[in-house]
Amino acid sequence: MADNHYGGDSESEDDNFNPAPADLSDDEQDANDSSPRVSRKTDHRSSSPVADEDHDQDDDDDERPAGRATKRPRTAADDEDDEDEGGEDEEEEEEDDEEGGGRRGGDDDEDDEEEDEDDEDDVQHSHRRKRRKAAGVTNWFDIEAEVDDEDEDEGDERDGEEIEDFIDNAHPDDIADSGGMNDDRRHRDLDRRRELEASLDAEKQAEILRERYGKRAPTRGYSDMAVVPKRLLLPSVDDPGIWAVRCKEGKEREVVFSIIRRVEERLGTKNELPITAAFERAGPNSVMKGYVYIEARRQNDILLSLDGILNIYPRTKMDLVPIKDMPDLLRVIKTPSLTPGAWVRMKRPAKHAGDLAQVLDVTENGLEARVRFIPRLDYGVREDGNGPDGKRKRPGIPGPRPPQRLFSESEARKKNPRHLQGNPQTNSWTFMGDEFENGFQVRDIKIQLLDIKDVNPTLEEVTRFAGGSEDGTENLDLKALAASLKDSSSNVAYVPGDVIEVYEGEQRGVVGKAVDVRGDIVTLRVTEGNLSGQTIEVPNKGLRKLFKLGDHVKVIGGSRFRDEVGMVVKISQDRVTLLTDQTNSEVTVFSKDLRAASDIGGQGSLGQYSLLDLVQLDATTVGCIVKVDRESVGVLDQNGDVRQVMPSQITNKLPKRKAAVAADRSGSEIRLDDVVREYGGQQRQGKILHIHRSFIFLHTNTTNENAGVFVTRAGNVNTIAAKGGRVTGGPDLTAMNPAMKRNPAENNRMAAPKSFGPDRAINQTVTIRRGGYKGLLGIVKDTTDTHARVELHTKSKIITVPKADLAFKDKVTGKPIDIYSRGGRGGGGFGGSGRGGFGGGSGRGDWSGGRTPMASGAGGRTPAWGGAPSSSRTPAWSSNASGARTPAWQDGSRTANPYDGNRTAYGGATAYGGSGGRTPAWNSGSKTPAHDGFGHGSKTPAYGGGGGGGDTWGSKTPAYGGGLSAPTPAASGGADWGYTPGASGNAYDAPTPGAGLSAPTPGAFSAPTPGAYAAPTPAPISAPTPGVWAGGWGDSAPTPAATAPTPGASGSGYYGAPTPAPFPAETPAGGGYEDDD
Amino acid sequence: MFFLHNLERRVLLHPSYFGKNMTELVTTKLVKDVEGTCTGDYYIIAIMDTFDLSEGRILPGSGMAEFTVGYRAVVWRPFKGEVVDAICTSVNQHGFFSNAGPLSIFVSTHSIPTEIQYDANATPPQYTNHSDIVIEPGTHVRIKIMGLRTEVGEMFAIGKIDGDYLGCLQA
Repeated sequence: MADNHYGGDSESEDDNFNPAPADLSDDEQDANDSSPRVSRKTDHRSSSPVADEDHDQDDDDDERPAGRATKRPRTAADDEDDEDEGGEDEEEEEEDDEEGGGRRGGDDDEDDEEEDEDDEDDVQHSHRRKRRKAAGVTNWFDIEAEVDDEDEDEGDERDGEEIEDFIDNAHPDDIADSGGMNDDRRHRDLDRRRELEASLDAEKQAEILRERYGKRAPTRGYSDMAVVPKRLLLPSVDDPGIWAVRCKEGKEREVVFSIIRRVEERLGTKNELPITAAFERAGPNSVMKGYVYIEARRQNDILLSLDGILNIYPRTKMDLVPIKDMPDLLRVIKTPSLTPGAWVRMKRPAKHAGDLAQVLDVTENGLEARVRFIPRLDYGVREDGNGPDGKRKRPGIPGPRPPQRLFSESEARKKNPRHLQGNPQTNSWTFMGDEFENGFQVRDIKIQLLDIKDVNPTLEEVTRFAGGSEDGTENLDLKALAASLKDSSSNVAYVPGDVIEVYEGEQRGVVGKAVDVRGDIVTLRVTEGNLSGQTIEVPNKGLRKLFKLGDHVKVIGGSRFRDEVGMVVKISQDRVTLLTDQTNSEVTVFSKDLRAASDIGGQGSLGQYSLLDLVQLDATTVGCIVKVDRESVGVLDQNGDVRQVMPSQITNKLPKRKAAVAADRSGSEIRLDDVVREYGGQQRQGKILHIHRSFIFLHTNTTNENAGVFVTRAGNVNTIAAKGGRVTGGPDLTAMNPAMKRNPAENNRMAAPKSFGPDRAINQTVTIRRGGYKGLLGIVKDTTDTHARVELHTKSKIITVPKADLAFKDKVTGKPIDIYSRGGRGGGGFGGSGRGGFGGGSGRGDWSGGRTPMASGAGGRTPAWGGAPSSSRTPAWSSNASGARTPAWQDGSRTANPYDGNRTAYGGATAYGGSGGRTPAWNSGSKTPAHDGFGHGSKTPAYGGGGGGGDTWGSKTPAYGGGLSAPTPAASGGADWGYTPGASGNAYDAPTPGAGLSAPTPGAFSAPTPGAYAAPTPAPISAPTPGVWAGGWGDSAPTPAATAPTPGASGSGYYGAPTPAPFPAETPAGGGYEDDD
Repeated sequence: MFFLHNLERRVLLHPSYFGKNMTELVTTKLVKDVEGTCTGDYYIIAIMDTFDLSEGRILPGSGMAEFTVGYRAVVWRPFKGEVVDAICTSVNQHGFFSNAGPLSIFVSTHSIPTEIQYDANATPPQYTNHSDIVIEPGTHVRIKIMGLRTEVGEMFAIGKIDGDYLGCLQA
């Protein structure tokens, strides 16, 4: 009986669905009795109204009614089966047999009590048999939830049918169609019944129906009806256990089929298999692969049943599945489906583990997929398969795997022509057993060996596939890519505040704002519709973010447009088109990849490179960044080509040179931010972004191609508006100061005086102050404006050093001297000249000669000065060159002071000249002012006249002079004076350096000065000087006007210095002035 | 939409301007600084008048004088859904750009009636329905603003012309 018992379990349920009215077939009963717990309910449930009475009886008396009268009806049934269902496939035949077997088996145990069964049952039998057997197999073997075998499908259908039938069956009318068509009695019966029913009124009828069927549901217990609480359906300790039995991986299904076969074979025999079910759940990615699950009462039953079946190993390992895990075994898991174009990662072969592959095709049974991927070929370099030691390498461990490269026919031909065959037309090749198409390797690969989920292809990987097309166009299948990405990140991150729409499920159409997100559950506050204001919880599966036209959004997530920010211009379903802020181009992304953007524009930079930056691509190429992607940037190079480069391919970023100047077509200078137009060509007009050599990068708003950037040659543009970034230091006083505005011309500074003659630095002894040659001594051989070529003493080598890095030394003493103080230029020169005054035109120094030109170079007035300055300087240089002067100078000439001093002098002069006021540091120090100063200063008229500056100047100067004078008088003024004379005096008197040396400043200060003055200097000088010293000089002497404004102390002091000299000393000076004027 | 808006601003005056007509200078400077600018939300079109000219305060360090000036200005603030007249400035295959005064508006092809198609072969390129409607740079169009993006000194809008009474004004 055990056999039957197990076998009948499922059948009994099937029977319940049997539509056949009054069909109390033996089978059914034998099924029923086989499983006691079911039999009860079957009886209750016996559905066909006609058979009701019979059943009721049965219920009562049949403890195990199974199989009565089986034999007789059996044959009849079989026959009928054949007739009725000629079309049925063999499966069913088999099943029939099986059942027959089962029944026969059952016979043995059954008594014949039931012999008196109605014949009708037999007649009806065919029907129910058919159903039963069909369902029988499937119930026996729950192969897998995901069914792809035909037979199973059929079984399922049948199940469905039965259920339908069952439902139909509940209605008495259906009896007519269902069975016994050829049975008169039934017809009559039906007619009678109908008549009866018709005679009753509807209520009564309902009452009857309720009575008849109403109580059934609760009593049914186990059933497939959805209304039954699930927990009642769960297995309990009374149910057979399920064992997981090891089998060969990949053979699970085969094993199950062999079990089925065996069950069928033995059905009804003595050694019927004592198992109730066998199934497998081996999907490609299932954790349950390698196991077959078998339901049986005892473990031993399984061992018995599986004895001799191939590929299953009941003896090695068998685990009893805990009861609570049983339902999980049958849980339906939707297997991810692969579609052509999808991206996957390969797990095996090891050489390609982790490589991205694209699905080309999926085989019908869904077990294999044809994928293409980028091969890793070494073209047979390591082909021999034997290690260096002659041992065979283990196949599982490949050496370092070759890089991914597209298949190259020529290389294959070169390296291993024997193994290559194929068709160049279609570009498909077979090389060493592998297939290649268009450079990609193509292979059929088991889906188990592919990673389908969480592929997350990077743009870089994907572009390698895209780049593979012959025409070079990008043929990215964005849709597939999106699908892959969508799969991989199914859990879209919603954040509170997102506006969300439910597009699936019962709540479809609800729009709300997320207020809370927990795991997969999103809490929405509904904002629209009937539910408005309510808070509902929805799983995030059927949700999508909702955007409106015009929303400002940012792309997040896995899209290739990540970090783009733009405005929504179109929405269709969950695809949103937006116009990006950066490039004004349209991109389409999934709404899940969007987020409402804050109003601060997004992206625009990748690492250190941002939009519109100028970057160096290689030694000769620069470009302007016109597009910034997630992983790459678009660069418009100087030739007008746009290339997509990785940040790593950029050599460096060129800082914006604000001062860059170029010449346009007409030769006028153009700078950054000027607006220019192309001459000829497209006549594009734009604002200058960058100037690089002869190329200019322009930006225009009229087009959004390349972010509005284009490149052209500087010589090919005409200036439209040159209002660009002129360099201005500090606030623009012209704009601010009304007084200045009235005299715009005043603003024009004079060009710096050009210094002629050789640089004074030449032939000087210097030490190098920094850099690799730091500390070395040398002689300056040649100079440029900024650099000097120094011949080193240590090794006969001439190096180029920035002048700033040089410290000038006295040739003899080695003491540091400040060559710049006497500077090549203005400042120095003048300083010298100032002193020169004292010098009284001591033109005798070798230097003076050399110098003179310089002084003269400074202006027409040079002559006037000429004698003086040069001479003045001369002493400094020549006589005391190092010794005397140095100290002497030091006072006056610490860089600041001397300048000041000098400047002041100029300053004074300058002031007159008109420019002094403006530029404290510069003018005074070195250049123009010096000039002017000279010119004017020396010229009394200028002086007296108040200089070019006029009132303004007058007013300014004081401030200036004051400022300058402040230091001067005290330190330099005094010192200067004191010492200079001393110096010069010395020079004069006894040009020996010794004098200079001995005259050290201190001395110079007090005593020598006057002496110096008085003594060496010509009368004129002496005359004023005292005045100066007296302090009355300014007033008394030549330039009342000038002196007036100029600060008493310094002004006079300095003035005193130069002025006297020029005036009296050299009449030519007068001419000089005139010239100037 | 245009508004009269009361605003306030601090004006810095260089010391060289200090004098008897300072208030006038302050006002002039205010006008110069403010008129025609975009605050982010709206454009200041014109200053009507000023009031509440505060006393100047010398800023330590720079010597500039700071005045706080209240003024009343005509401002224009574009709104979502507002219909404006604009002049097309450039046309490309994605749509066209147009200016409504200082505001640049982009109209995407998605927001252009389907019968109006991009014609790249025309010079200059244009959107046309091949009969009366031609949208090319210079064309006056009536646009409904669909979205606004505001930045610190700039505003940008997208608009549509598929709607009643929208579109080309010269047709």
